[in-house]
Amino acid sequence: MFPSAVPVKEKKLMDVKLGELPSWILMRDFTPNGILGAFQRGYHRYYNKYINVKKGSVSGVSMVLAAYVLFSYCLSYKELKHERLCKYH
Amino acid sequence: MLSRVALAATAAPSLKNAALLGPGVLQATRIFHTGQPSLAPLPPLPEYGGKVRLGLIPEEFFQFLYPKTGITGPYVLGTGLILYALSKEIYVITPETFSTISIVGLLVYVIKKYGASIGEFADKLNEQKIAQLEEVKQASIKQFQDAIDLEKAQQALVQKRHYLFDVQRNNIAMALEVTYRERLHRVYKEVKNRLDYHISVQDMMRRKEQEHMVNWVEKQVVRSISAQQEKETIAKCIADLKLLAKKAQVQPVL
Repeated sequence: MFPSAVPVKEKKLMDVKLGELPSWILMRDFTPNGILGAFQRGYHRYYNKYINVKKGSVSGVSMVLAAYVLFSYCLSYKELKHERLCKYH
Repeated sequence: MLSRVALAATAAPSLKNAALLGPGVLQATRIFHTGQPSLAPLPPLPEYGGKVRLGLIPEEFFQFLYPKTGITGPYVLGTGLILYALSKEIYVITPETFSTISIVGLLVYVIKKYGASIGEFADKLNEQKIAQLEEVKQASIKQFQDAIDLEKAQQALVQKRHYLFDVQRNNIAMALEVTYRERLHRVYKEVKNRLDYHISVQDMMRRKEQEHMVNWVEKQVVRSISAQQEKETIAKCIADLKLLAKKAQVQPVL
């Protein structure tokens, strides 16, 4: 692993090298304010990119719905396991 | 929200700098809105949102994998993941699967067929709203322009006030002149009145004296005529009359 010249904290996620990932994650702001800020930032990023435009398309909404479908499938996987067609995979 | 905070932060220092000059200087060199406001007008909304393929996966994912796997990379990845999930039964095929397939197929068909027209309809609604707001904006701009023109006209009128004052001054001067002459005339009349009185008093005195003197002289004369003289004068007058009568008798015959 090569130590980087720029301190780890200020880098964005895509610039962090793989070995520095745990330290980078630990340096994030986990206070309630920080978590709230993270949710707000994420919401505003998505909103301003896909919904708050002059000619929005259906993909702005459909991505959110697809993510919700996947999430609910993961939550209900435990009960769905019993409906499997084969026993051994 | 952050934009408003930034705007207030940039506006506050400029106001403070203006206040430091002091009241007199501020009144004299007032500058209104000549600087460039940093955040107005707001940048217009982007035309289209971020590109998304298949309606589900953003374009950035495809660009992320393009250098390493080329064009077909993400599709192959997707196919592989689906087959893996099916074969390992991470995704279980239930009766729900068929209903989801039919519903999703119907949705895709409807969106493909009527998506564009619905988009145009929504665009028309937006345009109507924007046109209304634009009308309001233009109306208020026109109102302000009219108010500005009115103000300018009234300011121009202020320059012509001196005509009004000149007329008033002339009027007052004429009124003063008129009253002066009136009073002069009255003075003249009063003085003439008094002098006439004195003259008429003098005339009357003289007339009275004359009459009195004449009366007195007559009375003296009458008194002085004694009875004797009266008879003599009457006899003489009768003799004269007779003579005259004779003369008068003689003459008409001639």
